[in-house]
Amino acid sequence: MKFDTIIIGGGLAGLVCGIRLQEGGHKCAMVSTGQSALHFSSGSFDLLATLPDGTPVEHPLEAMSRLESPHPYARIGADNIARYDREFPEMMKRAGIGLTGSATRNHYHFTPMGTMKKTWLTLDEFVTFDEPSRLPWHRVVLVNFPGFLDFYTKFIADEFEKAGVSCTPVQVTLPFIEKLRSNPTEMRSANIARTFDSTGHIDELLRELKPHCGEADAVVMPAVFGLSSPAPLEYLKEQLGKPLCPLATMPPSVPGIRMQQQLTKHFVHLGGTFMLGDTVDRADIENNEVKAVYTTNHADIRLTADHYILATGSFFSRGIIARPDSVYEPIFDLDVFYDTDRSKWYDADVFAPQRYMTFGVMTTDSFRALRKGVELTNLHAVGSVLSGHNALHEGCGGGVSIMSALHVADSLLNDK
Amino acid sequence: MGKTGNGTEFDVIVIGGGATGAGTARDCAMRGLRVLLLERFDYTNGATGRNHGLLHSGARYAVNDGESAAECIRENRILRRIASHCVEENGGLFISLPEDDLSYQDKFVESCRKAGIEAEAIDPKEAIRLEPSVNPSLTGAVKVPDGSIDPFRLTIANILDARAHGAVTLTYQEVTGFIREQDRIVGVQTYNSKTKERTEFRAAIVVNASGIWGHHIAGLAGVTVNMYPAKGALLIFGHRVNNMVLNRCRKAADADILVPGDTITVIGTTSTRIPYEEIDHMHVTADEVDLLLTEGEKLAPALADTRILRAYAGVRPLVAADNDPTGRNISRGIVLLDHASRDGLEGFLTITGGKLVTYRLMAEWATDLVCKKLGVNAVCRTADEALPGSRLTKEEEKRYPVGNVYRAAESRHGELARQMDLHDAYDNSLVCECEGVSVGEANYALRALDATDLASLRRRTRIGMGTCQGELCACRAAGLLAKAHNCTEKAKHELVDFLNERWKGMSPVAWGESLRESQFSAWVYEGNCQLGNNKKEVKP
Amino acid sequence: MNLQQYNISENNFEQCIKCTVCTVYCPVVPLNEDFPGPKHAGPDGERLRLKDPDFFEKSLKYCLNCKRCEVACPSGVRIGDIIQSARIKHNTDTPKLRDMLLANTDFVGRMSTPLAPLVNMTLKLKPVKAVMDSVLKIDHRRVFPSYARQTFESWYRKHAAEQQQNFRKHVSYFHGCYANYNYPQLGKDLVKVMNAAGYGVHLLEKEKCCGVALISNGLINQATRQGKHNIASIRRSVVEQDMPVIGTSSTCIFTLRDEYPHLLHIDNADVRDRVELATRFLFRLIDEGKLKLVFRKDYKKRVAYHTACHMEKLGWAIYSTSLLRMIPGLDFVMLDSQCCGIAGTYGFKKENYRTSQGIGAPLFRQIESLGLDYVATDCETCKWQIEMSTSVPVMNPVSILAEALDVEATIQANR
Repeated sequence: MKFDTIIIGGGLAGLVCGIRLQEGGHKCAMVSTGQSALHFSSGSFDLLATLPDGTPVEHPLEAMSRLESPHPYARIGADNIARYDREFPEMMKRAGIGLTGSATRNHYHFTPMGTMKKTWLTLDEFVTFDEPSRLPWHRVVLVNFPGFLDFYTKFIADEFEKAGVSCTPVQVTLPFIEKLRSNPTEMRSANIARTFDSTGHIDELLRELKPHCGEADAVVMPAVFGLSSPAPLEYLKEQLGKPLCPLATMPPSVPGIRMQQQLTKHFVHLGGTFMLGDTVDRADIENNEVKAVYTTNHADIRLTADHYILATGSFFSRGIIARPDSVYEPIFDLDVFYDTDRSKWYDADVFAPQRYMTFGVMTTDSFRALRKGVELTNLHAVGSVLSGHNALHEGCGGGVSIMSALHVADSLLNDK
Repeated sequence: MGKTGNGTEFDVIVIGGGATGAGTARDCAMRGLRVLLLERFDYTNGATGRNHGLLHSGARYAVNDGESAAECIRENRILRRIASHCVEENGGLFISLPEDDLSYQDKFVESCRKAGIEAEAIDPKEAIRLEPSVNPSLTGAVKVPDGSIDPFRLTIANILDARAHGAVTLTYQEVTGFIREQDRIVGVQTYNSKTKERTEFRAAIVVNASGIWGHHIAGLAGVTVNMYPAKGALLIFGHRVNNMVLNRCRKAADADILVPGDTITVIGTTSTRIPYEEIDHMHVTADEVDLLLTEGEKLAPALADTRILRAYAGVRPLVAADNDPTGRNISRGIVLLDHASRDGLEGFLTITGGKLVTYRLMAEWATDLVCKKLGVNAVCRTADEALPGSRLTKEEEKRYPVGNVYRAAESRHGELARQMDLHDAYDNSLVCECEGVSVGEANYALRALDATDLASLRRRTRIGMGTCQGELCACRAAGLLAKAHNCTEKAKHELVDFLNERWKGMSPVAWGESLRESQFSAWVYEGNCQLGNNKKEVKP
Repeated sequence: MNLQQYNISENNFEQCIKCTVCTVYCPVVPLNEDFPGPKHAGPDGERLRLKDPDFFEKSLKYCLNCKRCEVACPSGVRIGDIIQSARIKHNTDTPKLRDMLLANTDFVGRMSTPLAPLVNMTLKLKPVKAVMDSVLKIDHRRVFPSYARQTFESWYRKHAAEQQQNFRKHVSYFHGCYANYNYPQLGKDLVKVMNAAGYGVHLLEKEKCCGVALISNGLINQATRQGKHNIASIRRSVVEQDMPVIGTSSTCIFTLRDEYPHLLHIDNADVRDRVELATRFLFRLIDEGKLKLVFRKDYKKRVAYHTACHMEKLGWAIYSTSLLRMIPGLDFVMLDSQCCGIAGTYGFKKENYRTSQGIGAPLFRQIESLGLDYVATDCETCKWQIEMSTSVPVMNPVSILAEALDVEATIQANR
């Protein structure tokens, strides 16, 4: 099978790269082992919340100059990042995904715990704030469904009240959700969302909900609307007659799943080939050039392309794999940055910066992958498989995926 | 007879909420004494909760310490009867591998018989049939009545029964000093680490059953008990690899026992002498992990590629006797010290040494001495009366409606599961999906089993002990805690502490799937939820 | 050090990191609250069943075995296999008469062929349906596939076998029960396409039903016997005669390749790579430049492709769709990949009918909205379900290729 570019990994970085390339006229194939970490997304993308030294960042674009290579942002450059900051939301809009925010200044949105989190871009369906703990409401109703354990009304109410907003908890009992509840395990956000995808169910919710909303300035609810399309959510917003403030739930995340599906569909709609549930096992490499890759499903049928992009993610997606004494990249055996002393991988405080989070493949400044110190001419790495950053500590995971994906895609398109 | 700050009178104060302390409280209470048990943290916080969970048959000690072995098998049989809901009658194998001296087997079997332990040498092929995970290159095997015991349930059952007999049991009450009148201990001073209150409790006799901390407690009373801190590290594998306990048939050594228990399998232990000051700061090192794995694979080769959930370490509460640097040759025998005859201090006893399996006998000895001192004439009934949770007859078991949610609860709590609200869909929803812990079970533990925080909720129910180590359930459990005890702010802190405690056990083995799990948990809790954000400090 | 270098155990369930992605893609959960869901029935349940086999729940039978959970799993956990293995290991119920009838597709087929018109008519009669519904619990709303008067095998022996010797290259054809008893035209189409491509087509020495329905109905011993028999036949073809085995049913091929080793513990490692769908075989030849297909210029059809669940799991839809897209006059539409709800014999059972039709509803709506000539799919049970539930005829891609192929021009082009 012959393509212009083969992208290994169907998560955020892979999809952004693939869509950019398809839009630029490349014929791409994307191979994804399973569904991606977008399924746990809280509905926003972080660009830079903290510098590696711990300094909080309010203005990400300004702070970029303080990062040094091998940080991916230093390699991409502040000018390019500023440009992608403008272009990326446009691209997402074409996929049907609306985003709010700017790299000039971080904004805030709610976490599933009801606290505020600093971020770069947030899905339009969520409420965003310029300042933390200053809410535009005096009183809200806080809605949950009895038995839905992944939404913590007590914690959330506590945070709202700290911010001076009085919170009235409301439990909404609906027959179709009660049915779900009779299963001890399946009262999950995605399953609730699926029940609301059925026609008429949002109306039933509205009937139950409205009598409780009289005095409230806003309605706070778990983000369990619109699994396969934003339509149920939009309908709810339109009919509610009050501002709706959905809060992301614990995994699985309905807005995250929808985003993944919209991006995948858009990629396929643009002519891309998406191979789900398949894994790239190995590659042919000659003269520092990737000649072909082989997958589990296609076995001896080679997948070939001019360019290959490694977007396989970090440990979670097995982009890199840790053994007790080493960390390796399983497809190409690329050079991986890690510490040979395992005891240095971790900090005893789980919430302190963990060094293992910074492990990843090593690349040139243009993100060409390195193997035994030599660059592979047609293999680029993008996203969280990259070393040089700590996605959690710096609050830069989504940003690194998006920026590196766009940057590499552009370099391939310009190459042509 | 003494008085507390609030006027309640006690005959005896038991210091320590491990199996021995709980057992002593139960025994004393069943003999009609007024009992107060004080635990510094939560029940089972010490060695009780940090061992293999092996229901020794005694075979392991038969060659070197016939007396301990005989004690073990007697208690083993008693526990099968009185603590059936804590015991899994798995049976055990002592296997010889090609590098082991097979002639040791004869001596081993002979010693077992002398101690009263049914030990039967069987054909290696039969051993493989009985336990398919065993190393197939074994040259010999001896079948013994080893089993598994859940120390958390065992201790709580003793606490519940002690209470049913009138005992008062308090957690988070640290003994900070003794009330002394001349040469007599008449009470203790305590500090409650949750309420920050200081209290005095008085009783005629104080029993020091605080395990390795007994050294310190004795010091507070002005007497010397030299404990021998020997650290033992263990690894928990993600699921049941074996169904029989696997031991090596040789002189006891590191990492030669593999114990299945509930959903998991444990390998252990190492043995390292550590300074007394370190007993509250146990960390499992990479070398210990590697040693446990190397030896574990010899017992069951499947361990080479089985996911490891976590590593943990306990401190054996052995009393120093000689200069053995490994601490292995010390008798596991029971040590009961009457400080009146030993040190001239009345009203103070220390019960230590021994093993989890002999906790009841230790309690009996200690209670006998307490009764003697108080002039109480009552016989010990703890070997005859089943513990709460173990009072179901087979017929009764069958009569109850089944269903996996109830089945899981009953597997942990025996007939006490019937006290849980498991009647509607909400109560039946699972909080911890790995271990099958429902809302009803968690609420029961929060209400009736002194689960005051997430750590104690975990010990009572297994919430967060499964594959995901709290990734999916910690937040749900914190939500239930906040609701049950109306403590939202505390529950949030608890959640942070809980995740940190889980990480402590995961980090020594965080590679492969375990590191994937850790990264996923970190994304969810730190990334999405911003937990622990206020604690984020950068290390230079 | 060699410790824990590859933490991939036989007990694949422990690679599950409890991310819950599988639960999002299970088609059964939203419609049947008695099914515990893939995570709990699969990896979570397996751990509990290792603790105590009593944790086995009969509700695992509601699993369709569609494997969509496996396709979604980011950790490569074989969730569907875990669930099916648990059913095999722990289920003590003896299969009902109905399940035996539904499972024994080749036995029932063999019995029905001589009486095909009678059987077909009888199965349509209301009283018969009522009896089947009430006695056998086979849902009365279900439309049965009809039986052919002549099996594919006997047609082949009479009309095709001889000519196959004239080719230089050869393949064996695993036709499966459907092509043999219900729709021999598919087998004829396969012979036509392969002959045009320059390959002689042969029957296996003796083919038995792949056993997929036996497995899902708990008739494991019989399935294993038939599986071993089939692999022995396949081995003679592949190893002794160097003839690869191709098929036209994604389910049969999937079963031969993956369910045999994973569920029945039949070792097929030496032949597995040479058992595949005809579309994959043809695609490879074209991809390697060894074959050129020429299509009729007057062929004009609007066709949508439905990815059967096992096709999704195999990841092979791209072969069938690539071939269809090569037909110049074919207006191609890709349907959203979702389960049609039939899952072999699952949808025939009265207790599953509602779930089955509920699962398929979005797919049926999409099909009806597109103004199609055909739906193409590689699975025969999907065909029954879609034909019963929509107004659009369903064809195997091989049949569409046969219909569109310019045989003479193809032969010329490859000369």
